[in-house]
Amino acid sequence: MSDIPQSRLRNFSIIAHIDHGKSTLADRLMEATHTVDPRQMTSQMLDSMDLEREKGITIKARAVRLEYAAADGLNYGLNLIDTPGHVDFAYEVSRSLQACDGAILVVDASQGIEAQTLANVHLAMKMGLVIIPVLNKIDLPASDPEAVMNELEETLAIPREEVILASAKEGRGITEILEALVKRIPAPSGPLEAPLKALVFDSHYDTYKGVVNYIRVQEGRLKMGEGITMMGSGAQCLPVELGYFRPQHVPVQVLQAGEVGYVATGLKSVRDARVGDTVTTTANPAASPLPGYQVALPLVFAGLYPVKGDDYPALREALEKLHLNDASFTFEAESSAALGFGFRCGFLGLLHMEIVQERLEREFNLQLIASAPSCKYQVHLSNGKGELLINNPAQLPSPNHIDEIREPWVNASIVTPSQYIGTIMDLSTDKRGIFDGMEYLDEKRVVMRFQIPLAELIVDYFDQLKSRTQGYASLDYVESEYRVAPLVKLDILVNGEPVDALSTIIHRDRAQGSGRNLASKLKELIPRQMFEVPIQAAIGGTIIARETVKAVRKNVLAKCYGGDITRKKKLLEKQKEGKERMKRVGSVEIPQEAFLAVLRTDSE
Amino acid sequence: MITPQPPRGLYLHVPFCRSLCPYCDFVVVAGAAAFGPRSRIGGYLRAVEREIDLRAAAVDRSFGALGSALRTGDGTRAPLESLYLGGGTPSLLPEEALAALIARVRDRFGLANGAEVTLECNPGVDERGDARAAVQAGVTRFSIGVQSMNVDALRDLGRRHTPDDVSECVAAVRAAGATSVSIDLLADLPNVSLESWAASLSDAIALDPDHMSVYALTLATDGADAGDADDRLATPAGALAWRARAAAAQDEERGAEELELLDRRLPAAGFDWYEISNWAREGHTSRHNRLYWQRAAVEAVGPGAHAFDGVRRRWNSANLDAWEASLHAGELPPGGADEPLSEEGAAAELLVLSLRMSTGVVRDEAMRGGFGEALRWGESNGLLAPHPDDSTRIQLTLRGRLLSNELFSRIV
Ligand SMILES: Nc1nc2c(ncn2[C@@H]2O[C@H](COP(=O)(O)OP(=O)(O)O)[C@@H](O)[C@H]2O)c(=O)[nH]1
Ligand code: SF4
Ligand SMILES: [Mg+2]
Repeated sequence: MSDIPQSRLRNFSIIAHIDHGKSTLADRLMEATHTVDPRQMTSQMLDSMDLEREKGITIKARAVRLEYAAADGLNYGLNLIDTPGHVDFAYEVSRSLQACDGAILVVDASQGIEAQTLANVHLAMKMGLVIIPVLNKIDLPASDPEAVMNELEETLAIPREEVILASAKEGRGITEILEALVKRIPAPSGPLEAPLKALVFDSHYDTYKGVVNYIRVQEGRLKMGEGITMMGSGAQCLPVELGYFRPQHVPVQVLQAGEVGYVATGLKSVRDARVGDTVTTTANPAASPLPGYQVALPLVFAGLYPVKGDDYPALREALEKLHLNDASFTFEAESSAALGFGFRCGFLGLLHMEIVQERLEREFNLQLIASAPSCKYQVHLSNGKGELLINNPAQLPSPNHIDEIREPWVNASIVTPSQYIGTIMDLSTDKRGIFDGMEYLDEKRVVMRFQIPLAELIVDYFDQLKSRTQGYASLDYVESEYRVAPLVKLDILVNGEPVDALSTIIHRDRAQGSGRNLASKLKELIPRQMFEVPIQAAIGGTIIARETVKAVRKNVLAKCYGGDITRKKKLLEKQKEGKERMKRVGSVEIPQEAFLAVLRTDSE
Repeated sequence: MITPQPPRGLYLHVPFCRSLCPYCDFVVVAGAAAFGPRSRIGGYLRAVEREIDLRAAAVDRSFGALGSALRTGDGTRAPLESLYLGGGTPSLLPEEALAALIARVRDRFGLANGAEVTLECNPGVDERGDARAAVQAGVTRFSIGVQSMNVDALRDLGRRHTPDDVSECVAAVRAAGATSVSIDLLADLPNVSLESWAASLSDAIALDPDHMSVYALTLATDGADAGDADDRLATPAGALAWRARAAAAQDEERGAEELELLDRRLPAAGFDWYEISNWAREGHTSRHNRLYWQRAAVEAVGPGAHAFDGVRRRWNSANLDAWEASLHAGELPPGGADEPLSEEGAAAELLVLSLRMSTGVVRDEAMRGGFGEALRWGESNGLLAPHPDDSTRIQLTLRGRLLSNELFSRIV
């Protein structure tokens, strides 16, 4: 424990739409409070993963203690809990906010309110947090603070008097923000003498210290040497280490109500110390746990397969290890005739899927191939056989066993300059979206609301939205409900054999187009074989599209004299290697790249 | 354990051409280097003579001095069965220089009685050289770079000759008394229809050569061949651009049909295929090239040239400056060598080379050699069939010749 009393602690987050300057502002706050040695300061200090820096997004929540000498002459402890800014990680934001009493809302003064601005502010307000609105990037000539203050007032009822004008880049407005944190956010109020209640808001796995939980102590004290219990899982342990972040770990003996820090548990499985759990002391346990979190459920599913079949055990191990740091994805073994042994994984969204795949490839040196993403369908079986939940097209029973299929829908909100209303309307209705209304933020920008099937969203909606609006529109969505839809399974047959990895569940009206498209793409990607290879798209037993890969006619290296012999051998070895990396579907050899190319591109 | 063998043939690379053809992957220097006051031919000749001396001395050290008779087993070695002057355009060499080179090889390596001495020759007026002088110097066989008898195709390929030049050139080498005349043709030429290709083939047959090599035009569009070993030169950007355009105008189907056409036309004209790309009248197969396909030892001199001693393949640097500089300093030129092959690797290589030839292989032996799976695959896919003259052997079918790499990539 530091020597700062509870009355001078402040716990806050920074919330913002992606790229509005959250990480930069965090850097400035750390500098201004001398939290980091200037020589060690790198930009985007809190984004420590390579992937976070590269993609310019915060993926994991992180906490840091700032010590600030305020204008009133007193020292304050300000705990900044950083949050991810992408819609896929909205659940992390809500978790972090639950550990806070206030939030800095950063809005780019040249962009105005965006979709995640709205989503995050609504979340913070619902939790009763004090909001400190900051207009960032006022140094930009394109910034228009007046207009954005209007937006805030009109749309979010945030009074303009409360708004702080800042430039995180140039360090303007930083002192006002620090003062506002001290003056506007209430001190934590949990009783110090009550039994311990600490909320786990994130965790990571450390080889030496086991599961490290990030906690906010709500009531009581957590002390070294005192046994603790995870109220949810029942797991017990003796803390290996307690401390807070600056942003590196600073061990302490005690963390008390109001403080934010970490406890290294020595536990080997994140399941024993889940995010959302409540930590209490074993000797003097709290009567009831804190309200936990809703567990974030995966929305998007895909098979992950090693490109090299022998990497399967390595993939399993990698998934298990990564899962210790990111419990929000799920995985279970599955196998595919085309791709071999792999895992069906569940993700929070497409970005999450991309990130998990990239981390597996980079941190564990694997080469992976992902099957087409799918969502979770409810299949109502005929003859009263009940209901089936499937997340893999291969699991879909044949149509005569199905009464109806229900698919998940989401409520999407899109913030966009008004000139794109038409194109977004076209795009969304084309994706089976139902227009749900629209509000003007100001005379040039609107929020559009749609109900839209998740399956359509995860195909290429987001990419299309970005490209059709030159990147100006932003998207946020929440799950709503399951609805009945005329869905069919579209199979791709190569030489008469179905290629399971390419099957998709798709709206009946789209099957034809998508089938044609897939077949013609495959035709380009499958190399000529020794015989003619038909490629067909089929629904049930009905062929809806057909292409043919002609038989190879000529594969001969004409010259074979002195130096050609070595070169020829190299070429043959290359052809052989190519063959070895191919997947066999029946008697047809399909290069891995063909799957990759088909699976990576949209099915439109 | 296979031990190095004395060479049975010598390849001598002459890297000069009047101009560079854009599809060419050989080690070639062209233009001013090959002609006129800045010609490098003189310096090259001094260096290559030096290399002949050095390589022959090394052969002497390993295998004994040149014996008087063939293979006597008395600690001496036999003279060469073949000398091949390839290029580039060896017919560009001045006649005295050519005679001096052949004489030097005869002196240092030995040339057996009746040895084959091949000269590659281009048909253009300014590049074909003097056939009579060549024959006098000891050349027995001319390999003429005809490529096509279609005037437009020749122009498009950047060749310096016309079909009429070809006729004149063939007449000249015949008149000079050549023992054997071979012509090279290209198939799968960009923008050449099957009909014009067939016409060109008829004109080529009408030249009445003894031997024909027909190659499907292979375009290294990424210049990748300039590659890892320094046995190749970089491809000029202009040539790469030409290749990209040309490759787009090639057509696998048409190319295959052309090669199938050969199989009907050439036997009717008295030629038998004896290797995937080679056809000959009786008694006119290329002895030199058969050495390669038998994995026999062949020594090599000249920039970029490849040699094999029965165990190891080595090559000279393709860089004319570097090659020449070492030799002028009295040292062997820079170059590289492959690791010797494992026994299985050598067996696979021999199998591939043997299958390229019409003689094929004895089926049971090859099956026992561990290649059963590949060979049975070849049989069941119609690439291999019993040899018509010897039912214990198998050989490539026509389909197998067109698709040979599909089989060979299962063997290596
Ligand atoms: N001009 C200007 N650029 C800024 C300012 N704050 C952040 N940026 C830039 O905006 C981009 C996004 O900032 P970042 O802090 O990564 O945003 P985050 O996604 O909200 O964490 C970066 O290129 C920053 O350098 C500012 O005050 N002025
Ligand atoms: S003449 Fe022959 S060796 Fe010379 S550049 Fe043309 S193709 Fe190459
Ligand atoms: Mg960031």
